Amino acid sequence: MKQKKFIRNATPYFFITPWIIGFLVFTIGPLILSLGMSFFDWPLTSDPVFKGFGNYTEMFTKDTQFWKSLTISLKYAAIFVPLNMAIALFLAMLITQPVNGVKIYRTIFYIPAVISGVAVSIIWGWILNGDYGVLNYLLSLLGITGPRWLVDPAWALFAVILASAFGVGTMMLIFYTDIKNIPIDLYEASSLDGASPAKQFFCITLPIITPTILFNLITSVISSFQQVTLVMLLTGGGPLKSTYFYGLYTYNNAFKHHKLGYASANAWVMFIIILILTALIFKSSSTWVFYETEAKNGKKKKGGKK
Amino acid sequence: MKRKLAVLCMLSLTAVTVLSGCGGSKTNQDTAKDGKTKIRFASWDVAEDVDRQQELVDKFNLAHDDIEVTLEAYGQDFDTKISAGMGSGDTPDVMYMWNYPSYYQGLEPLGSFIEKEGESYKANFYDTLWNYNSMDGQIYGIPIGFTTHTLFYNKDLFQEAGISEPTNDWTWDDLQQAAKTISEKTSAKGFAFPMKPDPYDFEMYLWSNGAAYCDKEGNLEGNINSKESEEVFQMFQDMEKEGYAVATEKSGTDEFRSGAVAMYVYGAWSINSLKEDGLNYGVVAIPAFANAGKDSVSILSSSGISISKDSKNKEAAWEFVKFWTNEESNKARIGLELPVLSSVVESEKIMDQPEYAPFYLMLEQSTGYTSASFIIKEWSELSEKLSLSFEEVFNPSSLQSVPDVLNSAAQK
Repeated sequence: MKQKKFIRNATPYFFITPWIIGFLVFTIGPLILSLGMSFFDWPLTSDPVFKGFGNYTEMFTKDTQFWKSLTISLKYAAIFVPLNMAIALFLAMLITQPVNGVKIYRTIFYIPAVISGVAVSIIWGWILNGDYGVLNYLLSLLGITGPRWLVDPAWALFAVILASAFGVGTMMLIFYTDIKNIPIDLYEASSLDGASPAKQFFCITLPIITPTILFNLITSVISSFQQVTLVMLLTGGGPLKSTYFYGLYTYNNAFKHHKLGYASANAWVMFIIILILTALIFKSSSTWVFYETEAKNGKKKKGGKK
Repeated sequence: MKRKLAVLCMLSLTAVTVLSGCGGSKTNQDTAKDGKTKIRFASWDVAEDVDRQQELVDKFNLAHDDIEVTLEAYGQDFDTKISAGMGSGDTPDVMYMWNYPSYYQGLEPLGSFIEKEGESYKANFYDTLWNYNSMDGQIYGIPIGFTTHTLFYNKDLFQEAGISEPTNDWTWDDLQQAAKTISEKTSAKGFAFPMKPDPYDFEMYLWSNGAAYCDKEGNLEGNINSKESEEVFQMFQDMEKEGYAVATEKSGTDEFRSGAVAMYVYGAWSINSLKEDGLNYGVVAIPAFANAGKDSVSILSSSGISISKDSKNKEAAWEFVKFWTNEESNKARIGLELPVLSSVVESEKIMDQPEYAPFYLMLEQSTGYTSASFIIKEWSELSEKLSLSFEEVFNPSSLQSVPDVLNSAAQK
């Protein structure tokens, strides 16, 4: 009897063992290993030497590039995250409109998200080319002399942001499904009361999708700190190191300069920064995220007290 | 409680499997049941090039009853995978190699193997190549292919401008004259060079003008900021400022292929694509500096083949290395790589082909120089810093003063 119960309780775990094994071997294992490695000096071809917190103190006190790269990544996240969410939300609103052929638009907007990061980088490399690029050609039709996007340090970060906003489709889709789920009677009722479309957007749509906004905010903050493909292939960190993102800095320390221990320390510092940011966002969410279920429960309690 | 126990059991079970899995691979037998010695061979080539290499490997396997070589094509990730392999003690037995300063501690010195083959074996390779496959006087790789840099020029644009084509005796003054004329008379620019040159490549111009990044002890001060070195950087910056040369975002190949520039300096890598384009181009030696009183010098981008220090079957690995570097294999790889054996260059009449001969001319002119990357221990980090300095000089949105940049670069 007891044994049967045990088997019944354990069955779900048996089902997820393949995943657990993968998680332990390919995620937790390397994670712990890299934490250990961050306390060593390991030049790959020879044996690791223990140096305690040496990597961390070097990073914070001696390495000027660390601070520079961190600032660049923060700057990128500060511009990219709100911009990307605004675009995604805007597109999501567009594709929920009852227009003919909306499915085609939906596909077109989503396609870029399916393309691999490498291809996106190459395409944008051509689009953004200062002398022969399409973008500057289009600008020249408007009488504007476009900057040399990938050569001028003042424009390069913006060029990277532009190129990464190309992959907005996934976020758009998440917004889209959430907006589609909003009961139509809310809009009908409000329009009877004479609410304008703008009013409807700010008073109905936006509050209802705040949980989705929270989700998108957190995932895009995380992904913007991990951005590395684009800068590696599009700008190579240049011009004049103006797009030398933290991810690229870590990657180069590990695989170009063969300082594996140091790069592990870099990665852990990034992990902690992301952790803090995510925690802050979660903490703040109670003030601006609105859950329908919570609201209903709250009302019931109030009623009960009476 | 029960549930927790179940989870614990599962976790410990997986842990045991994982750990034992790791332990198992270490005692892996390198000799298979059929008695053949297994050799892993890592290459960085991709696509059709790998197919051609596989054919060669198959040929070797057919001819050897006791050795079986497996080709592992790492492609773009080559360096990452070799680094990871060396880090985890799982390096392939034989591998392509170019970055000796970074990896030589994980490679087997080949001096004794070469000695056994006799003097003529070593003498058949172009002498300059050995320098680039050694570290601290020890040979760590057998040369397979190389490229020097040469001046590529667009014949049509020269004709359109009505000026005579470059020759092997050109100086930079000649090039500047021609570049000016072409910029004036055609819609193309005269000359292109990368605005962010790889410091490894750029040192050849310093050598050509009698300078270098550093002395034999690796001191930058007084070398990279010497008068001769400044002259080189100043010349390139002036060409850009005066408008007949462009500093390109990448190597300049794209601009050259599209006919937007008439001349640029590059290795043999672009020849295949230029041929495909049907571009009417020519190749000559890099121009010399008029005041330097010597021929121009080129950097060598060389590839070799090395044996891992940890390999358990070094004799068998050497057998394969010998096969991979012999005349027949050199011939089979023509088109992929410039052959490194003088006997092959002779028998295949490579010197009679005008698009290849200048690469060998540059090879002969470039004996006796040691790249700073072989002298300076922390080259990869210095290279990154130098790269930034050079970009400060050549990036059109900064164009900083040459002496200032070089003086501060010398302090790094």
